[in-house]
Amino acid sequence: MIHSLRFLLFSLAITLTLVMASANHAADGILRLATTTSTENSGLLAKLVPQFSDSRDIPVHVIAVGTGRALNHARNGDVDVVLVHAKNAELDLVNSGFGIERYEVMYNEFVIAGPETDPAEISGLSNLGTAFEKIANSGALFVSRGDDSGTHKKERQIWDEVDIEPNGDWYKEVGLGMGRSLQIADELRAYILTDKGTWLALKRKLSLPVHVQGASDGRNDYGIIAVNPEKHSHVNIEAAEQFIDWIQSDEAKAVISGHKVEGEQLFYVIE
Amino acid sequence: MSNLPEFITIQNVQKYISNRMVLDIDELVVYQSECVVVHGPNGSGKSTLLKILAGLMTPDSGVATTNGVVRPWRQAIREFRANAVYLHQTPYLFDRSVEDNIAYGLRFRNRSQSVLFSEVQSAMEWAGLSHLAKRNARDLSGGEKQRVALTRARILEPKLLLLDEPTAAMDRKSRKQTFSLIRDLASGGNAVYIATHEAADLYQPDRVIQLDYGKLVV
Amino acid sequence: MDGLIGASAEALRLLFTGDREIWEIVAISFSVSFRAILYIVPLAILSAFALAYGNFPGRRVLITIVNALVALPAVVVGLLLYMLLSSSGPFGGWRLLFTQGAMIIGQMILAFPLLVAMIHVSLQGVDLSAWQTARTLGASIFRAMFTIMREVRFGLIAAIVAGFGRVVSEVGCSIMVGGNILHHTRNIPTAIALETSKGEFEQGIALGAVLITLALALNFAVATVRGRDMARH
Repeated sequence: MIHSLRFLLFSLAITLTLVMASANHAADGILRLATTTSTENSGLLAKLVPQFSDSRDIPVHVIAVGTGRALNHARNGDVDVVLVHAKNAELDLVNSGFGIERYEVMYNEFVIAGPETDPAEISGLSNLGTAFEKIANSGALFVSRGDDSGTHKKERQIWDEVDIEPNGDWYKEVGLGMGRSLQIADELRAYILTDKGTWLALKRKLSLPVHVQGASDGRNDYGIIAVNPEKHSHVNIEAAEQFIDWIQSDEAKAVISGHKVEGEQLFYVIE
Repeated sequence: MSNLPEFITIQNVQKYISNRMVLDIDELVVYQSECVVVHGPNGSGKSTLLKILAGLMTPDSGVATTNGVVRPWRQAIREFRANAVYLHQTPYLFDRSVEDNIAYGLRFRNRSQSVLFSEVQSAMEWAGLSHLAKRNARDLSGGEKQRVALTRARILEPKLLLLDEPTAAMDRKSRKQTFSLIRDLASGGNAVYIATHEAADLYQPDRVIQLDYGKLVV
Repeated sequence: MDGLIGASAEALRLLFTGDREIWEIVAISFSVSFRAILYIVPLAILSAFALAYGNFPGRRVLITIVNALVALPAVVVGLLLYMLLSSSGPFGGWRLLFTQGAMIIGQMILAFPLLVAMIHVSLQGVDLSAWQTARTLGASIFRAMFTIMREVRFGLIAAIVAGFGRVVSEVGCSIMVGGNILHHTRNIPTAIALETSKGEFEQGIALGAVLITLALALNFAVATVRGRDMARH
């Protein structure tokens, strides 16, 4: 049976060859964009991306993950450009040399949704921090993304600012995307910090109204950064730069401002 | 010992299985066209010896001489495989028809379909299996299975036929049929080695060799 | 449960009106998983043969390891593969991350232990004498393998169907190394995960229905072939 080991190695080689042959269309010229689930799920990218890729004949592959993972993909050189919302982490990427420069693209809003009965009586407040304090003191349930996404980072930042370390039975870290987290908050009748776009998209399936919006500390900035080819030479920098130029153009701004979910504008361009 | 021409000689053959010596043979000469009964109790190394002669098992040490040339075992094993066919005590029949089973080995040799067909037909007649040709071999009785296995081996005309307890667990009638087939085979000019723990003269052998604890007893 | 019924009705409508996006996702799922199984089956069969009839040190340990790897979570494979294929990883130069190629490799890795374990079990159902009989009747090692494969054909088919079922429904690895890119690496499970997160339960149910139908069809086909063979005896 010594032969059989030789056959085994032989067949392993064949298998690898087959895989490499089938996989070798790791096409060049593609622009890989890592972004957050909020831009993808709201349907904005489905409008933006085809306009860009059709007019320049550059195929765009959108990888929608949490902001933390998106930034990691950029750091590892697995994508060419990132469009995310976590300003401090984005600046870290630039400062460490993995990103070239951060450009402002647009902003939307963080809101607090919660059970209709509003047990923590936060309705109408104009500050997310104050609302967080009231929720923590009321003992009402709170659902946290817990996934290092942009929304999660924002939530941690607010808890820090009001100097509360959230833990206990009332604080549920679910480790899921925004949509799933909203559904869980709905089932648990819990409060949750969410971007307005995802909430609007799911609004009709939830009985989880927004209690705090238009808050002074609720602005959610999206930035775009090209991955630095000095760190990862294979990065498709031409396409990345074209995309960054284009997304700041009037054409793109019109698409962003005109995008509505449930009749409401979601994203506002930064002038 | 014998006037017959030598076919294969094996010398200083030792085989261990799980660190236990199961076979230790100083010298064994296999002559062409002789019928030999390998006699011995269960566990005396009969099957091991036959499987080594069939090239199905490699001894841990030993040399083989064929056509007067001493060969390393790797080469000798090819010689064994090309010339010997081994039959298990409980024959394994493939999950297909009787005629397909009998034709199995022949398909690896260059034969036209028509030659192959007629060879299979006459082999089945020889063993009285013609009426079972289309039956699935799995559905046969023990005696019928052994006859299919014998026919499947005979059709290859091996120089050395190795039968491991060919009539164990068989009824009287099947045994009689099988004995007559084996005697017919043994008179056909090829060497036949039969391992058995029963009385050796049932097979009317030219020679009987006795195995005990893996050693030849003279 | 108005929601469930409504969503199911809408799901059926999506499927039967030939919603292009859904059928494209189905096609990607099939093509990726089919290729993964196609490429890995020969290696799995050879490995199973080596484990069943081989005589080399460490054989028993290997069998145990293979059986343990059957339970390997898809996300773990995805994570390891991501680290290997990432541009910062050792095989980053292949530029395979976020392609169907990466998904195929991931699914091959996932299917391999299950295929080997199941084929190995079928081979153990055949006596060693089957192998020896083929060999002594003059079959080369390859011919003997084909003979034994024919003997265990139902076990082999069952293993392949089970392997396909495992990879076509796994989400963890595909989403990690495929990236769930629309038109390219979005297959049924990753699409279900996405649609669920968006609250688009109709799409999720429609895609789930395709998977279940496929699983039923495959298993019925196997059962029919097998039943016909049983009846022959």
